[in-house]
Amino acid sequence: MNVAVTTQPKRKPSFGDWLKTLTFYELLVGMKATLTHLLNYKPITLQYPHEKRLLPDNYRGMLALLRYDDGTEKCVGCDLCEAACPSRVIRVVSGEVPGEPTKRYSKEYYMDMTRCLFCGLCVDACPVDALGMTREFEWAVYDKRQLHLNKQQLLAIGDRSFPVREKRLELQHPNVAFFNVTFKHLPQKEN
Amino acid sequence: MEIGLRLAVSLAQIAAVMGVVMLTVMVLTLAERKVLGWMQDRMGPMEVGPYGVLQPIADGLKLFFKEDIIPAGANKFMFTLAPILALVPAMIGFAVIPFGPSMTIELFGMQIKPFVISDINIGILYILAFASIGAYGIILGGWSSNSKYSLLGGLRSAAQVISYELNVGLAIVGVILLSGSLSLVKITEAQAGGFWNWFVIAMPFPQIFAFVVYVISSVAETNRVPFDLPEAESELVAGFFTEYSGMRFAFFFIAEYANMILVSCVAAALFLGGWNAPYPGTILGHLGLDALAWIENVVWFAAKVYFFLFLFFWLRATLPRLRYDQLMRFGWKVMLPIALGNIVLTAIAAYFFPR
Repeated sequence: MNVAVTTQPKRKPSFGDWLKTLTFYELLVGMKATLTHLLNYKPITLQYPHEKRLLPDNYRGMLALLRYDDGTEKCVGCDLCEAACPSRVIRVVSGEVPGEPTKRYSKEYYMDMTRCLFCGLCVDACPVDALGMTREFEWAVYDKRQLHLNKQQLLAIGDRSFPVREKRLELQHPNVAFFNVTFKHLPQKEN
Repeated sequence: MEIGLRLAVSLAQIAAVMGVVMLTVMVLTLAERKVLGWMQDRMGPMEVGPYGVLQPIADGLKLFFKEDIIPAGANKFMFTLAPILALVPAMIGFAVIPFGPSMTIELFGMQIKPFVISDINIGILYILAFASIGAYGIILGGWSSNSKYSLLGGLRSAAQVISYELNVGLAIVGVILLSGSLSLVKITEAQAGGFWNWFVIAMPFPQIFAFVVYVISSVAETNRVPFDLPEAESELVAGFFTEYSGMRFAFFFIAEYANMILVSCVAAALFLGGWNAPYPGTILGHLGLDALAWIENVVWFAAKVYFFLFLFFWLRATLPRLRYDQLMRFGWKVMLPIALGNIVLTAIAAYFFPR
């Protein structure tokens, strides 16, 4: 078998090199390393189902829909999350709030979590902070259809993960408020 | 009557040795994973039982209840034969291993050697012969599976056999020259009386080179890292037993570990004095407890065997796998000349300074 090998400039092997080859010096160095680890045994394993590591504050886990403190949904059905999602996880069916023609809400809200890559772009896109990322990650299921979540399920996840709810902002007249957020550069109305 | 008794005693001895070997295999499967884990800063199996000590039982149950699959297109006869052909030679070699002092006891008017099943005068030759049959199990298993991974594993095993088999035989010749016998019992007895009589360092010519050659070759013989070419899990899935499942897989698995124990026993008996303590006699014997001295000898034998078994784990945790051209080059161009030179020098030394 003739294989072209780029040879390094040849150095005459010294007596030390010869002795090292003869006594398997490199092997002994490696074996010393493994034995040192055996004698100073400090495992870095976390026994996962029994012990869980502390998750960071900005952990991006399961998505959830949130509510205001009076129990009403934050979502205004604007479809921006659907537009922001790179994996087309989210599908929103928007509708008018009955009796209030200027306000909208999401009639239906679906998430296909089998495709979600947990980038958090939908959370950033949401103008009313209606989406949140929880710290739940143990979502292994036997049937992948269980990961097609509807609005009720997403709200339930939000309810159990965010027990402290945000206060509803009443900064503008409810009939003109589409995005119920503060506009700091505009003078605020007195109610 | 006489023959019946003798048969019963032999069967009892075989059952005891097999029991100890199978128990050691069980311990080894756990010990390997634990030691490997500890060396790599892991914990090893921790789930079954306290600190995972019952893992071998769980593994055994799992393998026992697994579906036994014969792949379509496999040669059924060879496929069935291969695991047996791998396991039997690994087990049968223990027949000539002396586990303890070669004393005889009187039982029902018969002379019985309790620590060796059969002291045949060609013991080491018998082990070598059966060890090479074990390789047929691997090659046949690889060939009959009708799978490219298995076939490649079998081919590599064939390439490996021709590079280590010769060196094992030649490394042992020096010891045979010094002891003047092929019987493992006689070889062990020739090393009695302290560690300076062990053949690794014994005068007139220390067999240290032969010992190193034997240990390296025996690692290759048992298909262990760094010579696990037939298995090569990162290249060939599982090599020759890719297609095996259930108890057939377990047979290959047990055969590998039994082979490890066997070559460790042979290495201990040939080079490290077998059941002899590293000091003259035994402590229990010096204390006047001659009847119990065998315990000390058996413990020494077990300690030497377990040292070798630990060495196998240690090498596995440390070394990467060789290519088979590297193995063949190392076998033929390095180990073979060393083994041959060792024979020549040992023969000269044994001629001028007979023991």
